[in-house]
Amino acid sequence: MADHYQLLVIGAGPGGYVAALKAAQLGARVAVVEKHHLGGTCLNYGCIPSKALLSSAEMLHSVKHADKWGVKIGGAVGFDWTAITAHKDKTIRQLRGGIASLFKGRAVTQLAGKARFEGPGRVVVTVADGSEQLVTADKVIIATGSAPMRIPGWPDDPAIVCTSDEAVHWADLPKKLLIIGGGVIGCEFACMMQSFGVEVTIVEMMSRILPTLDADLGSELLKIFRQRGIVCHLDTKVEEMRIAGGAVTARLSSGEPLSFDRVLVATGRRPNTSELGLDRAGIRVDGRGFVEVNEQLETSATGHYTIGDVNGLSMLAHAASAQGVAAAENACGEAKPFHAAIPSAVYTFPEVAAVGMTEQQARDTDMPIAIGRFPIGHLGKAMAARHQEGFAKMIRHRETNELLGAHLIGHNATECIAAATALIQQRVSLRDVAETVWAHPTISEAIKEAAEDALGIGLHLPPRKVLRIAAAMA
Amino acid sequence: MRSVRESGHRQPKGPAELAKNMTLVNLPEVSPPISSATVVRWLKRPGESLAAGDPLVELEADEMVILVEAAAPGTLAEILVKSGQTVRPGAGLARFEPRSPQLGQTDSSKEKAVPASNPASGGKAIPILMPQAGNTMEEGTVIAWRVKEGDQIAVGQILCEIETDKATMDFESPDAGRLARIVVPEGEPVAVKELIALLADNDADADDYLAGQGKSPAVSVSCQTPTTSPVPKNGAVQKRSTVPAAVTAEGRVKASPAARKLAAERGIELSAVGAGSGPGGRILSSDLRNIDFATSAENGAEIRKPLSKMRRAIGLNLQQSKQTVPHFYVRTTIDADPLLAFYRDQRAATNCTLNDLIVLAVGRTIREFPAVRSQIVGNEIVEYPHANIGIAVGTDEGLVVPVVTDVDTLPLDRLAAETKRVVDQARKGRLENIGKGHFTISNLGMFGVEEFSAIINPPESGILAVSAARESVIVENGAMRAGRSMTMTLSADHRIVAGVMAAKFMQRLKAILEHPSGELA
Repeated sequence: MADHYQLLVIGAGPGGYVAALKAAQLGARVAVVEKHHLGGTCLNYGCIPSKALLSSAEMLHSVKHADKWGVKIGGAVGFDWTAITAHKDKTIRQLRGGIASLFKGRAVTQLAGKARFEGPGRVVVTVADGSEQLVTADKVIIATGSAPMRIPGWPDDPAIVCTSDEAVHWADLPKKLLIIGGGVIGCEFACMMQSFGVEVTIVEMMSRILPTLDADLGSELLKIFRQRGIVCHLDTKVEEMRIAGGAVTARLSSGEPLSFDRVLVATGRRPNTSELGLDRAGIRVDGRGFVEVNEQLETSATGHYTIGDVNGLSMLAHAASAQGVAAAENACGEAKPFHAAIPSAVYTFPEVAAVGMTEQQARDTDMPIAIGRFPIGHLGKAMAARHQEGFAKMIRHRETNELLGAHLIGHNATECIAAATALIQQRVSLRDVAETVWAHPTISEAIKEAAEDALGIGLHLPPRKVLRIAAAMA
Repeated sequence: MRSVRESGHRQPKGPAELAKNMTLVNLPEVSPPISSATVVRWLKRPGESLAAGDPLVELEADEMVILVEAAAPGTLAEILVKSGQTVRPGAGLARFEPRSPQLGQTDSSKEKAVPASNPASGGKAIPILMPQAGNTMEEGTVIAWRVKEGDQIAVGQILCEIETDKATMDFESPDAGRLARIVVPEGEPVAVKELIALLADNDADADDYLAGQGKSPAVSVSCQTPTTSPVPKNGAVQKRSTVPAAVTAEGRVKASPAARKLAAERGIELSAVGAGSGPGGRILSSDLRNIDFATSAENGAEIRKPLSKMRRAIGLNLQQSKQTVPHFYVRTTIDADPLLAFYRDQRAATNCTLNDLIVLAVGRTIREFPAVRSQIVGNEIVEYPHANIGIAVGTDEGLVVPVVTDVDTLPLDRLAAETKRVVDQARKGRLENIGKGHFTISNLGMFGVEEFSAIINPPESGILAVSAARESVIVENGAMRAGRSMTMTLSADHRIVAGVMAAKFMQRLKAILEHPSGELA
């Protein structure tokens, strides 16, 4: 006799666990299937472990430059990799325990095992010992996330040619690291590893790093990376890779052969959908394996929803959580479309954060826009605290004054973006942003200043260039 | 149908003269190139004169402020792009009247200026604009193009037939050249001074010009509106079936802060906007971009709507009439029984209405009263040979007056057919014989009105207000009998129609109407 639930959630990552809690809060009888650890990629292989490592890397970076702050460090500056990874592992364990107790508190049933569909609302859970259990449910939320892509044809030795899954749990550090892909993951690792003294080379196929974000952010970060000695090859591919005697030789499309002792492949992620038997539930996937959903996050099979990386709308943990809440509400009888401004955060130092349209996206829509910029280095707080890198950039609709996009690079940018996200989600006028009082001295003042610049009413920049031109008369 | 050029005394400035004296101020191409610019503010008002180099308008583009200066001395005639609106390089910003020592020189200076200052917006193309025939004309519709793309056009050649809220007219080409592109298709109303066609030696020049204006030729106009934005032109009313209205059950309007700000700045009542395009019908700023009038429907509050061009035209006309024409009124009541009996007899054979009989009677009366078919034109009184009678028709959009010509010569059946035709056309928005009327009849009888006085429709000399045939006591030779009577009031222009004449007119009209079988058959 199969166990029956009102809602079954497959995957306990940041999407799935939040969806389960929300549905339980709304009164549903909920079970969650997880084949690995609670918390998914975010907690076990992504956001959290990388931030634990980055916090040590940033501290080390600061200490190395302590004299800039007038601080004298006696003796050699070094780090204890074992202690650093121990903190990371402890943080992960604590947060996993946190999810388990949240489940308990809301009476969410946890099923350890691998799920596969047998039909709509019918899922077989295979436990580690090989035994199988049939679970049925009125509604199903699929939140199985994604996995890093490996390049077919490249050496299959995860100790040397790694993905982020391995890299966040490296027991020791490489000396010379090749990072393939200059996206968010590649940049965070490059920044972190360079601080720990690793020689880092980034190879990026596109013409800029952080290619999914506003172009100005990537070019600013590239400048900073290069100043620090991170080698960045843009418009370049790795043509060939060979392992010989514990070293990796990579031949770039530029012809250069380079040698490393480890490689991080950070070229993207693909959805975990191939082993779920989605076709047996009548759930359609697109050519790349992403599950197609409507505005309410429902798949082609009624009552079956997907959230997070699996539907490909946004490959970010907080997007998955927000979608988890929406899908849980819809599974419990609502019919809400999911529309939300999703911020992006890149934990390099300086940090990069963005929300809304990039300048290019706004231009592509043919909207009349105006751009406002403000260098963070002009802020009192930035000068006083010696964090002068970066800028804020705001995009304004010239006719309606609506804030279309906010792009930040600088110290604490990932915290500042919260304000901009609320503004974009509410669809405010830049006049509201300019009229809001921003605490002084803070880095977030850059948002106000850039907003004023976008409106052409800024006071802390020289007046805008005025082009005087004779009318064309026809 | 009259030609624009023939109507000198009524429209002192025909489109041909306008096009010659005026130049179009375009947004020039700038470097670095911009895709569009938004007008921040006008620094001069229409009517203000400028010296060459005086700043005219401030625009912003991306991160640049553009100050457009007058290229020559002259007068700002009309602003075409309001502040807050976005235009592309090459687009017309204003109409400008250059100051030149001799009138003939404007043309040559214009020809010199075009290719030099504005190469990218199609210097070799000559724009043909919707003419403004008369001060009150705001838009016009090309009813029929008389030329086709590729034709060689001479100055004065009729390009098309244009219909306005008042008139239908032939539009003569103000320039000569090859008609490269027809921009506005037949039947689509456009604002005056909007581009309707282009003269150019080759099509590429015309298309460059159009690209600079963000427009496309008529062939594709139906599927592509010349707007620069993907936002629906009509603003908020892009309803989806599942989306509720923007006003919640508690009466709160769901709108983004940017929309609220914009609404406050422009005086738009959000509760009247309808469902927005945001989640749950939330009104977004983009929903308001093209609403520039205020509407309101909150419990008991006033509702504001833009004054339609037609209503404005009617209002101005009537106001002018009542204020400048010395009206005086003569009222008479007729015994309607013979008329009603005659009507019952004629109806089947001629398909006429009661009103047709009155029109016919008025036409026959006017035949005997030349003053009533006369008008003051300048310092002269012009007497017309026949009686052209307007019939006031109420439509949803307001009052229109189609005209039946030569009523005094028509037999009843032809009059009935002609009246039916012009009234039907008027209800469809096509007015016949505009400006040709000598006298108007306004009949409110069908509403049971006992009597009223009407305002003369200038430059006519009179209007007859016809009320209902109602049951009443008729006193005849000292005896009372039950019958039906009708009251009619003549409003006459005392400058043309003297009091005695008006009285005689009504006396004669009454006689005809009370003896229809003798007078009208």
